[in-house]
Amino acid sequence: MSKIRFAQMRIVAKKEIMEFVRDWRTIVALILVPLMLFPLLFIAFPLVMQNEAEELQELNVEILVQSDYIDEDILQGLNQSNISISIVSLPPGLDSLSDPLNDSSLLRSYEYDAILRLEQRNETWFYSVLFLSTSEQSTEARNRVLDALNTWETNETIERIEAGGLDADSTLNPLRWDGIISDADVATKGEQAGMLLSLFIPFVLALWTASAAVQPAIDMTVGERERGTLESLLSLPLSRSELLMGKWLAVVTITGVGVALQVTGLLFGIAFLAEDLVNVPSISIASVLLLTLAVGLYGTMIVALYLALAMRSKSVKEAGTVLTPITLAMIVPILLTQFINLDDVESFWFAIPFVNVLLALRELLLDRVILEHVIIWISVSIFVSFLTIRYAAKQFSREDIVTSRS
Amino acid sequence: MNENLLHLTDVSKSFGDVHAIEHVSLNIQNKSVVGLVGGNGAGKTTLLRMMAGIYKPTKGRVHLKDGKNVDEMRSVLGVVPESTGLYSKLTAWENIRFHSRIHGIDDSIAWSRTLRFAELLDIQDSLHRYTEGFSRGMRQKTALLRALAHGPSILLLDEPTAGLDVTSARIVRKLVQKLKDEGGTVIYSTHHLAEAEQVCDRIIIVHNGTIRADGTPEELLQLTDTNSLEEAYVSLTSEVARPRQEDTITPSKFALLWRRLFTRSHRYEVNEDE
Repeated sequence: MSKIRFAQMRIVAKKEIMEFVRDWRTIVALILVPLMLFPLLFIAFPLVMQNEAEELQELNVEILVQSDYIDEDILQGLNQSNISISIVSLPPGLDSLSDPLNDSSLLRSYEYDAILRLEQRNETWFYSVLFLSTSEQSTEARNRVLDALNTWETNETIERIEAGGLDADSTLNPLRWDGIISDADVATKGEQAGMLLSLFIPFVLALWTASAAVQPAIDMTVGERERGTLESLLSLPLSRSELLMGKWLAVVTITGVGVALQVTGLLFGIAFLAEDLVNVPSISIASVLLLTLAVGLYGTMIVALYLALAMRSKSVKEAGTVLTPITLAMIVPILLTQFINLDDVESFWFAIPFVNVLLALRELLLDRVILEHVIIWISVSIFVSFLTIRYAAKQFSREDIVTSRS
Repeated sequence: MNENLLHLTDVSKSFGDVHAIEHVSLNIQNKSVVGLVGGNGAGKTTLLRMMAGIYKPTKGRVHLKDGKNVDEMRSVLGVVPESTGLYSKLTAWENIRFHSRIHGIDDSIAWSRTLRFAELLDIQDSLHRYTEGFSRGMRQKTALLRALAHGPSILLLDEPTAGLDVTSARIVRKLVQKLKDEGGTVIYSTHHLAEAEQVCDRIIIVHNGTIRADGTPEELLQLTDTNSLEEAYVSLTSEVARPRQEDTITPSKFALLWRRLFTRSHRYEVNEDE
């Protein structure tokens, strides 16, 4: 790569950003959607879930009880749960109570939401609940029946223990936790939040970065060639490296703003709308700085790779065809890192490009700054960033980039 | 006194196996308008792109009077490509300013130069409009202003009047004439002989990647012993013109095989009686 003058690079980046931002659709995609996405999710999600739960509770379900004899207390329990009951005898020829026989048609036709089969054999009651797992109403009916049966079972157990002259409470719970379980966790709320967020922040950060860079990378390379603006640009006193770095800076800025806004929206959502569910993680300044560096290096690699591949492409369509599966393929390292146990993670994981940055994000969100890991992932990522930029520079140096190849 | 500004010394350019330009040697003098005349695929654009430093010659050298290679001294050039290359979401002035800033020219200097030429081109009222809705003529005029804003020594124009209406083409030719009168140097690519005769004081006939003739219109007539430039051109370029070279992209073997899998060959029976 030839010498790079920052002033030239800045002029190119400024022009690219100005052009990109002047498209109102870009502003909506870049600012409004990222900023509003999580707050909206945090507001809409609980509302929808609460409404759905209320609707389900108010729902009257139809149960067919098949039994030759039913305990009065069981019936009473079922009647208290918004359940309409029809009672018939057990069908003949059952191998077990769970064998649906011909009764599945009663569930599939939605005549009944669930079928409770009960049979007393000596001192023990045997039961099964036939239901249709693909129907939410049927699942709800099954849950209500199971709840009623559990309540009955608990009462029956206590009665039998007491009839035997024992203390039901100490017999059923000979071992019990003393105090409040969460009080025994020495991790602070902030650390717990960090743990929770470390499971999905790397996922969303990596995916956002990868997906947000696609469109500007295509637009500023092969898009420019298709629009016929590249030739005049290449005739300017501007080296190909300056051109690449200017475009790289523009894509990184656009992607960075998009990702930063999404993180802002997410943290705002956590802090103000979902404070009961998740706390804001407490992490040190060093971790914050390293987190920023990790995201920066990840962005550097991704953007340089995208610019190179887009410049290699013959058309905008081809660039989209190449970059979309790469973005989706990013899910593989992202998911892989979710299953790696950070307590005894081997150092070699931090030498695998892309995976290392994602693992580093997880560690840093847990406020773990392990020097050996940090040195490995920074060195490897800088090396890979250098390679991707070199590759991009090679693509930008090709003479045929000026020729419209679409 | 005229001096040589730009030299092409035994320049050849190949794209893979295709020889787009072969053994071209030229000297471009200052205070002249030089016309590169040739048909489609003759090699005019490749030659201009080498002069602009966009393409590097496969053989030979393109250099300026001080011996420096042209790609190291692009600030002395003003280039108007055939596609004009304007950014549609920027205004005309922003397009011009972007280029002049890359050339290291102060905005106020670029603005005063732009205003001067904008009046000549009758486009001064549109400088702050987005180029998105510009006509072909307006785009061409803006591209010319952009190429002139940094005060280049040599102006390279690739088909500057292609697709323009009569009035716009005339305005462009008048500007070229004015630049020449002011001592400027213009290299003007066109396939219109009449236009070249009108504007240029030297015409270079390019055909199939080689230079067939180089001289004033009178010299070309003398050389070919003809009465008109059109006849002279025909006699110099008698063999069949090749297709455009640099745009010919050969797909990979796999791509070709894949394409064939989804290509049905249609054969229709022709009824002779009909």
